[in-house]
Amino acid sequence: MNSERDRRTVVAVDVGGTFTDVCVLDQDSGELQVAKVPSTANPIDGVLAGVGHAGVDLERVALFCHGTTVATNALITRRLPKAAMVTTKGFRDVIEIRRGTRDDLWDAYKDNAEPYVRRRDRFEVGERIDCEGNVVEPFDEAGARDVARILARRGVEAIAVCFINAYANPEHEERMAEILREVLPDVAISTSSGVLPELFEHERFSTTVANAVLSPLVSGYVNQLGERLEEDGYDGDLLILHSGGGVMTPEAVQKLSVRLAASGIAAGAVACQHTASLCGYPNAIGLDMGGTSTDISLVHDGQLRTTNEWFVEYGYPICFPSIEVLTIGAGGGSLGTIDAAGSLRNGPQSAGSIPGPAAYGQGGVEPTNTDANVVLGRLGSELAGGEMTLDPVPAEEAIRTRIAEPLGLEVHEAASAMLQVANANMADAVRLISLQRGYDPREFALVVFGGAGALHGAALAKELSIPTVVVPPRPGAWSALGCLMVDIRHDLSTMFLSAAGDADPAEIERAFLELEAEGRAMLETENVPPEKIRLERSIAMRYLGQWRSMDVPVPAPLTDLDASLEQFHREHEREFSYRRDDAPVELYRLQLTAIGETQRVALPREEERPDAALPDPLLERDVWFDGDEQPRRTPVFHRDSLPAGLQFVGPAVIDQLDSTTLVPPGVLVEIDEWRNIRMHITEVS
Amino acid sequence: MAPVTTPRHDGPSADGATLDPVTFEVLKNSFVTLVDEMAEQILRTCHSFVIYARDFSCALCDAEGNTIMQGSQDIAVHVGTLHLKAKAVLEDFAGDINEGDVFAVNDPYRGGTHFSDVSVIRPIFADGELVAMAQANGHWADMGGSVPGSFDVSATDHFGEGVRIPPIRIVDRGVVRHDVIGLVAHNTRAPGDIIGDCHAQIEATRVAEQEVFRLVDKYGSRTVTTAFGAVQDYVERLTRARIAALPDGVWETEDHLDLDPGKEEGLVAVRLKMTIEGDEISYDLSGSDPAISSFLNSGSGVAFSGAIASAKTFLPDIPLNSGFYRAVKVDVGPEGTVVNAGWPNAVTGCVSGAYEKIMSAGFELWSQLMPERALACCFNLEYLLVGGRDARRDDRPFFMWYDWMAGGWGGRHGKDGQNATSPVFGVGLAVQPLEGQERLTPVLTSVHEIIPDSGGPGRHRGGCGVRKGGTLTDVEHSVMSYCCDRGRAVTWGIGGGMPSLPHGVWLNRGTDRERYLGANFSGVAVERGDRFERPSAGGGGLGDPLLRDPAEVLEDVIDGYVTLRRAERDYGVVVREIDAELSQYEVDAQATERVRAEQRIERVDWLDEDPEEVATRFRNGELDVMDLVRRHGVILDWGSGELLPRTTEQYRSLLRRRSAAQWTAP
Repeated sequence: MNSERDRRTVVAVDVGGTFTDVCVLDQDSGELQVAKVPSTANPIDGVLAGVGHAGVDLERVALFCHGTTVATNALITRRLPKAAMVTTKGFRDVIEIRRGTRDDLWDAYKDNAEPYVRRRDRFEVGERIDCEGNVVEPFDEAGARDVARILARRGVEAIAVCFINAYANPEHEERMAEILREVLPDVAISTSSGVLPELFEHERFSTTVANAVLSPLVSGYVNQLGERLEEDGYDGDLLILHSGGGVMTPEAVQKLSVRLAASGIAAGAVACQHTASLCGYPNAIGLDMGGTSTDISLVHDGQLRTTNEWFVEYGYPICFPSIEVLTIGAGGGSLGTIDAAGSLRNGPQSAGSIPGPAAYGQGGVEPTNTDANVVLGRLGSELAGGEMTLDPVPAEEAIRTRIAEPLGLEVHEAASAMLQVANANMADAVRLISLQRGYDPREFALVVFGGAGALHGAALAKELSIPTVVVPPRPGAWSALGCLMVDIRHDLSTMFLSAAGDADPAEIERAFLELEAEGRAMLETENVPPEKIRLERSIAMRYLGQWRSMDVPVPAPLTDLDASLEQFHREHEREFSYRRDDAPVELYRLQLTAIGETQRVALPREEERPDAALPDPLLERDVWFDGDEQPRRTPVFHRDSLPAGLQFVGPAVIDQLDSTTLVPPGVLVEIDEWRNIRMHITEVS
Repeated sequence: MAPVTTPRHDGPSADGATLDPVTFEVLKNSFVTLVDEMAEQILRTCHSFVIYARDFSCALCDAEGNTIMQGSQDIAVHVGTLHLKAKAVLEDFAGDINEGDVFAVNDPYRGGTHFSDVSVIRPIFADGELVAMAQANGHWADMGGSVPGSFDVSATDHFGEGVRIPPIRIVDRGVVRHDVIGLVAHNTRAPGDIIGDCHAQIEATRVAEQEVFRLVDKYGSRTVTTAFGAVQDYVERLTRARIAALPDGVWETEDHLDLDPGKEEGLVAVRLKMTIEGDEISYDLSGSDPAISSFLNSGSGVAFSGAIASAKTFLPDIPLNSGFYRAVKVDVGPEGTVVNAGWPNAVTGCVSGAYEKIMSAGFELWSQLMPERALACCFNLEYLLVGGRDARRDDRPFFMWYDWMAGGWGGRHGKDGQNATSPVFGVGLAVQPLEGQERLTPVLTSVHEIIPDSGGPGRHRGGCGVRKGGTLTDVEHSVMSYCCDRGRAVTWGIGGGMPSLPHGVWLNRGTDRERYLGANFSGVAVERGDRFERPSAGGGGLGDPLLRDPAEVLEDVIDGYVTLRRAERDYGVVVREIDAELSQYEVDAQATERVRAEQRIERVDWLDEDPEEVATRFRNGELDVMDLVRRHGVILDWGSGELLPRTTEQYRSLLRRRSAAQWTAP
């Protein structure tokens, strides 16, 4: 066994649909290693292969953090265990009726997904509780036992217990769960009052059902991963990233598996938050641009935006705080097309990895953004340090025949037009997540990563009047690092419907104390020492009569509501541009975030050298920039050759193994102490 | 339907300016973002639960009021009406529209939908010139009138329905006219919420204005206004290219409302003719029956919208703006018909009445034109209102339980219809959570479930409908009203497919106080302890049900979408139970073959049986409602069991045309 002192390596693994990214950080030497291996059928094989590829000695690892799309993929592919639902008599179809709406309003041939539990597997029990928690119809014990007997005969592996108004009184659900446990001791049981004790039956049931169907699978996965890591010599904590941007222990995952539903997506957002905070930007927009899609996230005042309205498939909400990530179909492989009315479009169709962009020379004939970047000289002739070559000839051919000729443009004009449309689409998406929420992009930094982010970052920033672009040291695998940058986090809540004027602060205080006791107990079972526990309170409020509420942080202990109400008015005005001081405010829900601080991971830092000099470029080549009549002779640098403290002015191309950064003319580049490239877009049109 | 040509983008515009393809695409997408931003803002700040359930729409209109872009999640019935409201403002305030003004309008006789849908419209100026109008249109929970929720089924003219708002100015050069807003709000039952929603809509139009300003700053006002026109031209070109690929011809059909309460029993016809000539479609509604004496008539704007929405359902990927309306034209016919009622005929229930009939008739025609996208009739929008005093609280506040359901959609080419989906009038309209309703109103919901056998039988079954009902707990001075239809003109199948089941509300069913209230009624007094329930229909079936794969019927039985009894009666499939606890059933193939052969011979005669005799057998309990509407084509007053002879005759002829004529021969 190594002593604590020896174990200074931390490992983050992010399993995505195509690649498994591994980030290994030696906190002593500050060395950051990255490995990218293909994801595997059993994702754990990919995880261990990646760890092996990165040359990690698990016996020297202090912390292993993991983000995974296992839960997301299980929900999408419906590879789910045999599950059943038990609900109040008369309400068997709540999860099938949903809210009735369909994702595509006009296309009658596009169907919503089926519920996670089929109608044949949904059972009813006589009971009813009203909205105040009073028993209107007693719990039918005999009926419940009969259902338990049938479920045992059926051999189900997971059960969701979802009763009407159980948020107001969980007794019947708890009794049902007891009976089920008695008869089916090995089956995973989720109750709606245990998973999400909140108003609105479909949302609560849907979340509970998702939890039930994921539970055997996700717990199994986490346990198996833990065992295999242990076999290979790891004896530290295994922490799993959840949708809300915190980590959970395997024990917590057993109870709330559904919280991993967006685990993989959250990692990139957290990485962006961390980079922004290192650089001293309280506000940042994260742009994680890959081959087929781009994930956009937003950090305001150091906090990531979260949403309670998240789903994997339309109609089946998972109502836990999830980091708000907007995914759009724009990536390096997105296709440029001309539609029936002659308009130039970009994405969401993509060339995928097969055949891939025309420049890959694998038979692709349709032009992609990558092809446009090749034609414009922004990408060189190889990718991934020479593992993949890019051939400009088929790229040009694709753009010429599919775009340039139909539109009567030169090839370079057509390529430039394709990228302008792609950038404009991404800019619109950024506007949706920023302007629409009342945030001015000009007050934000743009953190770009993913394979293609650094190529588009400067142009996008210009389009959005964002002054600064940050390219982290390892853009291609940066999102994996997000898994290392978070604390253990549990989100608890309780309904508290009351006019603010009628609410008794002492009663609110008592309710918060109960939530705090629950949150503290959870962290204690996870061995979080008391000094590492942080409890954050908030109240969801709204103007009386409104349907959506806003979260307002409140102090502990709570003695009066005045300051919090003023903050609500203020936030409402910021987000929706008006406030109504005369209108009564309603409290809706009390919320507690219980945080267990994990050990802080330090990224390597390099002293900025005032005398840092621009190295010789690897080569020079002709690059077309937006608005230019002619290509410019542009130096190409290797990223590792650029020292901290260096400043220079574009144009330039900065190449590295996993990405290429494009620096347009006039843009000031600065290499900071964290080896980020910062681009200052001075000319804002 | 691949595009035949790839025309060059020529960026035509009124003033001769041209747009490069990039600027065009960028601006087009910005307009999409802009209207969606408005929608998001409304959703987050509205007070009306009807708006929150997504009964609203947003649009950016040009300086002439033409729609440039509409919200991607907008409710269908507002489609094709927003430009008319914008034009009404321009007309009434010509020469007197100033920067900082905001207007409101709900007038259904000026292209609006019904009184409840109030549009807030903000003119947008660039360099002192009117360049655009931002519009936020939302369904307010109450607009006054004789009943809570402003849905008085018995209203025969507008005065009983609610406040009519011709174009009025609610913000004057930046100053909110509280007096004007107050005048409207205080003629409703919920002034506080109305004022709240008015603010939410005013601010949403401001979001649009800011965004237009940003675009004008960046691209110049000439480029932006050129793009306003180019985006409409783009949609027109796209639409024309698609229509040109369709065969020329004339198609006609009719769909029906249940009755005109002012006349003898008998169905009321909405007649739709569709002509395709080259790259244009023209609809003609002029043969429709006269306006009826209930509020299910529609105004001209809604009739226009119904025809447009039916076309859009079959061309779902084309964005909607005024360019679409240039290629798809609608003649709503003379005033005074059920589709173009004219002032002061009552029109508030239009969406349940004439509107959905126009859409459904359109579906039937388009299904012949594009069989690969065929869609049988979908359930009819319904909403039930209970209003009165909430005796759970000492101050007895006013309450409104205002409820609508999802229902089944029609069978489709190669697949069944969708179960439990929002109505065609607005697929984005969300049903309300009963747990929320129970907090707000003294109504305890007892059931909200899918109805077995409600999907119209067919080779491809209609989707299933839903049942919802409950008990009135602590109510005082309360009344119940229902806005629906298709209690008699039952949701129908096509191509040999069969109907679903009739709509209608039951009070205290199965007790000695049982009452059938019908599919359209108003102001029925109800009291503490009353129980009620009603179904939403399933969709109509598509194709001969005797051709449905028995394996599919078996799956339906296992899931309880179809009962054992009706598997045999509707599909001729004999399913045997092995172990219901384990969901084990099997098809008796031999028996199925025998039953199907018998039914092929017998069923043609069922439609000719003496209706009185059928009605008697119904009253004796030998036959049930589904037997009557599917096998015998007999329509009764479902409460009394009394035969409706004229309606039955009409219904049978429809059933023969849409179903029996297309069954496979014995």
